[in-house]
Amino acid sequence: MIEVVGLKKKFKLTKDHKKNKLDKTDPREDKDYFHSVRNVSFHCNKGEVLGLLGPNGAGKTTTLRMISTALTPDEGSISIAGHDIIKKPLYGRKSIGFLSGSTGLYGRLTVKENIEYFAKLHGMKKAAITSRCEELFSLLDMHSFIDKRADNLSTGMKQKANIARAVVHQPAVVVLDEPTTGLDIMTTQTVITFIKGLKAQGTPVIFSTHHLDEVALLCDRVAVINEGTSCFDGTVADFKQVGKSEELNQAFMNILTEKRDV
Amino acid sequence: MFEVFKKEIKELLRDKKTLLFIIALPLLIFPLIFGVLGYFMVQAQVEADQEVHKYAIIARQDIKEFSDKVFYHKNFNLVEAEYTVRDELIQAVKDEDIDVGIYTTGAVAGSSGHDAPIEIEILFNNASRINYISEKLTEIFSEYKHVEQLKKLSIYGIANGKDKELILDPVKLIETDTANARESIGEKLGMLLPYLLIPLVLTGATYPAIDLGAGEKERGTLETLLLTPITRTQIVIGKFLTIFSASIATSLFTVASLGLWIVIAKSIFSAETIIDVIAIIGAYDLFLILLLLLPLACIFSSVVLAISIYSRTFKEAQNYLGPLSIIVFVPLAISMMPNMELTLKTSLIPIVNISLAIQELLKGTVDYNFVYTILLSTVFIGVTTLLFCVHWFKKESVLFR
Repeated sequence: MIEVVGLKKKFKLTKDHKKNKLDKTDPREDKDYFHSVRNVSFHCNKGEVLGLLGPNGAGKTTTLRMISTALTPDEGSISIAGHDIIKKPLYGRKSIGFLSGSTGLYGRLTVKENIEYFAKLHGMKKAAITSRCEELFSLLDMHSFIDKRADNLSTGMKQKANIARAVVHQPAVVVLDEPTTGLDIMTTQTVITFIKGLKAQGTPVIFSTHHLDEVALLCDRVAVINEGTSCFDGTVADFKQVGKSEELNQAFMNILTEKRDV
Repeated sequence: MFEVFKKEIKELLRDKKTLLFIIALPLLIFPLIFGVLGYFMVQAQVEADQEVHKYAIIARQDIKEFSDKVFYHKNFNLVEAEYTVRDELIQAVKDEDIDVGIYTTGAVAGSSGHDAPIEIEILFNNASRINYISEKLTEIFSEYKHVEQLKKLSIYGIANGKDKELILDPVKLIETDTANARESIGEKLGMLLPYLLIPLVLTGATYPAIDLGAGEKERGTLETLLLTPITRTQIVIGKFLTIFSASIATSLFTVASLGLWIVIAKSIFSAETIIDVIAIIGAYDLFLILLLLLPLACIFSSVVLAISIYSRTFKEAQNYLGPLSIIVFVPLAISMMPNMELTLKTSLIPIVNISLAIQELLKGTVDYNFVYTILLSTVFIGVTTLLFCVHWFKKESVLFR
């Protein structure tokens, strides 16, 4: 289980930003800081898939970066199976498989070399690496391009390789930031099937998306962030009830509007 | 850390641009550049030597012997045009009707009753890069002057040839160079080697640093790496070791290339003295030269990596690191100034100290205590810059700008 409580993160504004881009209508900007995440809480239990929703710039990626330990929160806590990963970031990195648009592959290495490299960094032994790689290459249908350099891959192939890279060490929690953005239907289907497979194995999965049909297909729980603050955290059924609509798109819009009006 | 280093080296060796900078540049491109430059310089010199200059002269009869010598010289061709005043000659040079004008007011009686010296003026455009007009005319003039001096001495009654030569050249200065072959050639090699080695240590570090810092940031692989269960210190040290190795490899390839081309030059030009000097420099001094480059490579690698990590993109890193290569030439130029020598003070100035030490090691005149001082001070700076780089790499505001 992963639990996120009261996360806050602010970034110092640059002189250039202060001079040219200061938006006085944005409640997250003050004189010196941009409060990207102001108060975010949610949790995801074993075998559950949580969809993290929010408009662009809501603070989803910053939240996920804090969960991945790339960024350190100013306040709040993140725990995996009771372990505080802010205090123990190395434990967090061992426990989490993270994928986002900003996590790339080494272009001059082959797909296989990339995945083996990250497996080694996770301390896996040679035999374990070989069997795990074989398992992932079959699951994600990657055999045709494992010896190609990452630079020469299509977007879909890259995303499959990136997913394999993220889960090679069999993490306790998987965090995916918009994993299907820009993918064709076939690759999207492979990713969805893969997430279902993780769920079936009991791995908690957090994934941010703008596609609510994917939420309907995969998620047990939903968390909504707007302007750096949690608006909702609950089951899909609760989401529809609070959002006063059976349509997820409408429910999402209603939750955002209601929160703004409040 | 070792896994990071191993992977970075593998990737680096698959990058054609890096291979060009680390191996091809020192091995092939430098000799090629020097060869092409040398060829064109020799060609330009030959052409300048064979060039026939058009000239005109005013008051030819007053300096008949001189004008005859110019007339019969293979590099001068008299233009058959009538010029009567000096300004006309200047205008003709400006209009490029002639290359040089020769003008004299002729012999003028001095106040003491004796003749004043005859002034001969040569008018030419001295702005062109290779111009031998002045040199050739000065040579002709010296011969003419000597003949005129002998004539004057005869007029004053000094007829004996030996006496005349004694009056013209009463004192002779004899220079004896006590420097041995190593000092002489070491001095010349010492002016070249630091200029070649030190900037190459920086060049060898710069490109891999841009790729491993800003390049990884831009491609998103840095964030991927930060999510693995190894510490940021291990990551940055792995990257530093790669850059450091590339930097040292570049300078080693350069030295190897220099040695190789000297051997080739020996077989073509029989440059045995240079080989002999290299032989007598000795293994210990050569080892010290390479040893001095290690802490310098450490400083450069740490600084360029820190700058590269700070940059958001490959291009931004290139913009920051471009001026650095120019800055390095300032202490190098200072070390080449006359009277600069290795003292306790200069042995503490980064880059200047290493350049001076290389020069003196090549000449065989070094005080080894200063070399050890340089090693200590440079190692200290190297460790400090590396610690700064590690600290820098841990800052979120640097990694996620």
